[in-house]
Amino acid sequence: MTLLHFVGKNALRNHRRSAMTVLSIGFSLLLLTFLVSLWHAFYQDAGPPDDALRLLTRHRVSLSFLLPAYYRERIRKVPGVVAVVPWNWIGNHYKDDKPEHFFAQYATDPDEVFQVVSDWTIPPDQLRAWQQDVSGAAVERRLAAAQGWKLGDHLFLQKNLYPVDLELTVRAIYDAPPEASALLFNWKTLEAGNTFLRDKTDTFLLRVDAPASVPAVEAGIDTQFRNAPAPTRTETQKAFQLDFLNSLGNIKAFIIAIAAAVGFAILLVSGNTMAMTVRERTREVAVLRTIGFPRRMILGLFLGEAVTLALVGGMLGILGARWLIAGVAASPQLTLFAGFFRRARVTLPTVLFGLLVAACVGLLSGLVPAYRAARMNIVAGLRHIG
Amino acid sequence: MPTAAETTIVQARNLQKSFKRDSFEVKALDDVSIDIAEGEFLALMGPSGSGKTTLLNMIAAIDRPTGGELLVMGENIFRLSDQQSAKWRNEKIGYIFQSFNLIPVLTAFENVELPLLLTKLNKQERRDHVLTALKLVGLEDRVHHLPKQLSGGQEQRVAIARAIVTDPQILLADEPTGDLDSHSAAEVLEIMTRLNQDAKKTVVMVTHDPHAAAYAHLTRHLEKGMLLPA
Repeated sequence: MTLLHFVGKNALRNHRRSAMTVLSIGFSLLLLTFLVSLWHAFYQDAGPPDDALRLLTRHRVSLSFLLPAYYRERIRKVPGVVAVVPWNWIGNHYKDDKPEHFFAQYATDPDEVFQVVSDWTIPPDQLRAWQQDVSGAAVERRLAAAQGWKLGDHLFLQKNLYPVDLELTVRAIYDAPPEASALLFNWKTLEAGNTFLRDKTDTFLLRVDAPASVPAVEAGIDTQFRNAPAPTRTETQKAFQLDFLNSLGNIKAFIIAIAAAVGFAILLVSGNTMAMTVRERTREVAVLRTIGFPRRMILGLFLGEAVTLALVGGMLGILGARWLIAGVAASPQLTLFAGFFRRARVTLPTVLFGLLVAACVGLLSGLVPAYRAARMNIVAGLRHIG
Repeated sequence: MPTAAETTIVQARNLQKSFKRDSFEVKALDDVSIDIAEGEFLALMGPSGSGKTTLLNMIAAIDRPTGGELLVMGENIFRLSDQQSAKWRNEKIGYIFQSFNLIPVLTAFENVELPLLLTKLNKQERRDHVLTALKLVGLEDRVHHLPKQLSGGQEQRVAIARAIVTDPQILLADEPTGDLDSHSAAEVLEIMTRLNQDAKKTVVMVTHDPHAAAYAHLTRHLEKGMLLPA
């Protein structure tokens, strides 16, 4: 037996309480890791390299105001712009309202869109087939698999946000990163179905020649339309999504507040457990002191026990967070923030941060009870009936 | 009192211990002076609250007097730091409790091994020491048993093995047979007698039981904190 072995045996002494403590810490760490991973995805992850080359132009005031289609050619003339397409989000219903039938749909230009998203791949013959069929659709491979679509299938997308039903035929299946899973169709189909949408789009998606061109392109486009009837705002896809996210409220403060509350709660749970543990083992501590265990070793034994429980809980929580993030990312209900959630990962620094938090929780929660145990009067401890 | 030829292992002079209980001052030890010779088997008897255990705890350096002087093996143990007195106890003192006080989640082997975790012995050396100690108390066939799988007598024998595993010079026993039936008590007392006679351990035993005290060479009585004349 070693002292570590002794710590382990003590940590597992009361199976039920240890399990409850580990689960409480685990659940809290799950939430914390989940939030940290979202934070990372929201504010730190730069995304794939090609994302840095793609910009979105929308109405400066709100997405609910549309931009004229003729802006496209004027945007194209801005130095640094390589390609530009309309990129109109359509939230039509497929089959029913069930979440598993909800997916992103974009009205765009089949002739140019794969120049903007040149990191996505599509078989050339299928691209040609899509370009030649005005009611054709290109579907991301995972989405096609999830919905059971194959080339030639007819889809009916019932009107929802825009008053236009869509009848489309799957002409192409493309490969793209998970966050870009969507159905693309020819924007002329949308125009044909509804006069309100004729010559209009909610955003333009464009590609620039180099990351260094981004600031100049953003300024160039927005300056050009500053005094136009529909002023624009051009930003990276990520900035666009963050803007959208921030419209819901102060997400950063929200995440920090929840993380702080979670941290405080686990500190109390773990502290209470350790306090009970020390109280129950008062006599044992006195016995250990009698047979020669010095105070600092008693302190170490209890801190080790608290840290062990916290770390086991932390590891479970981190594993749970990985599972949760994978589950959320795979959820068909994700639409608006799919890009963020599908990009969220429990990275190694997040794992290490989670374990550090768990270890700190163990140390802090165990500190006072362990100190009291170490300072205990041996004679009083031996008389303790517990 | 030991003769000049005998080596005094414990020398107490005018030991006092008092504490306040509500508004009363209670004297647990009142001017106790005693010499205990090396190799002695001493029984301390007296009614409850007479100060027997207090004196024992002071010899073990787990309690401090409010007055007087105590030398154990020539050392003023109350001048030691916590770290030093813990080490001193680990090396020099074996303590046997009335209620065994084994760690319930550890096997007999692991309970006996506990004091050795504080030494520099390696795993094999610790194992040898533990098995020797368990063999001395006749429990070599119970090494992997948890305390709850042992009888009271066996638990106390494991506790004795734990007390002697570091080969201390002094064994202190606080009512070691108090929780045992007469047969188990006799076994425990036989072991303590053997440890005193064969292994030359100095044994100081607190007891209420005259039968237990009969195993000792010498019996001293305490009453109201005072040591009665021999």
